[in-house]
Amino acid sequence: MKNSFDEKILDEAQDWIKANQKVVLATVIQTWGSSPRQVGSRMIVNEKGDFSGSVSGGCVESAVVSECLSLIKDKKPCKKIEFKVSNESAWEVGLACGGEIAVYIEQIH
Amino acid sequence: MKLKTLEEILKKKSSKTEFAILTNLENGNSEIYMPGTSPEGEFSKYTNEIEKFFKSKKNGVIENSEIFVETYIKPIKVIIVGAVHIAQYLVDFAKSLNFEISIIDPRGYFASEQRFPDIKVINKWPKEAFEEIETNSNTALIALTHDPKIDDPALQFALKNKFYYIGALGSKKTHENRCQRLSEAGFTNDEINSIHGPIGIKLGGKSAPEIALSIIAQLVSETYKK
Repeated sequence: MKNSFDEKILDEAQDWIKANQKVVLATVIQTWGSSPRQVGSRMIVNEKGDFSGSVSGGCVESAVVSECLSLIKDKKPCKKIEFKVSNESAWEVGLACGGEIAVYIEQIH
Repeated sequence: MKLKTLEEILKKKSSKTEFAILTNLENGNSEIYMPGTSPEGEFSKYTNEIEKFFKSKKNGVIENSEIFVETYIKPIKVIIVGAVHIAQYLVDFAKSLNFEISIIDPRGYFASEQRFPDIKVINKWPKEAFEEIETNSNTALIALTHDPKIDDPALQFALKNKFYYIGALGSKKTHENRCQRLSEAGFTNDEINSIHGPIGIKLGGKSAPEIALSIIAQLVSETYKK
């Protein structure tokens, strides 16, 4: 369904900021093939690595968290990350579903 | 994104105003765009493309650019007739979907605010209540009272105004009688057959939340057929 006015992820981002946490916003900006979450899906990550929301069906969230942590550490404003189909290595991050997604991460400052 | 932009987005969301968030993926600049206006600075040359995203109700990156557009469009209006137990669960389910619910019930003891906090409940007969709600072919009707004197006028209004989804609660027998009455009132078979009755997809459940789930599932499915 189209973006809901009731979706709470951005409200949660504001709550985290009010609690003096550093927040990175991750947004799905492009998808190819059978990706699990549609363009505009969101997730937030704080400096401790806590996260809420989703950008995939659980396939790439851990990689997005570590990218967000590096963004905070390196004091960078934003970054675009692409995830492709996972290969046979179980430890490699990728989309088991066979789709590809691009995720944009940005600090809220 | 600037904290100020985030705060503005939240304000727009709570007032359910249509808007878009424009983001330059290269430098991280973002801005709020209101449909029908002209964006400033680096986004100014993309007005046509941004409007296209609004029209197609989509989000995405503008071709041959590094501009991401995320649109927030008006939720679909769902009118429930009957402030009954099932309606309370429908309200819960609709919260996480892009549906905006109004409830009509002339029976004051059902239509109390305490039973439906945060929801527009109109304590009037359907005919008068519809004067207070703006409706069009993007509106859905869920009739839950299975009382002809309350449901029928609402169903007739929804048929005349070509709501994209019309559902009515009641057994097969109740629905047959309802169809008979609508036919006598001059509605065509096509119109009458467009009513989902008995309402909901077959899940097998009988409890109020299960019936609400089957109704909301049908509503989502019909919304995607639009």
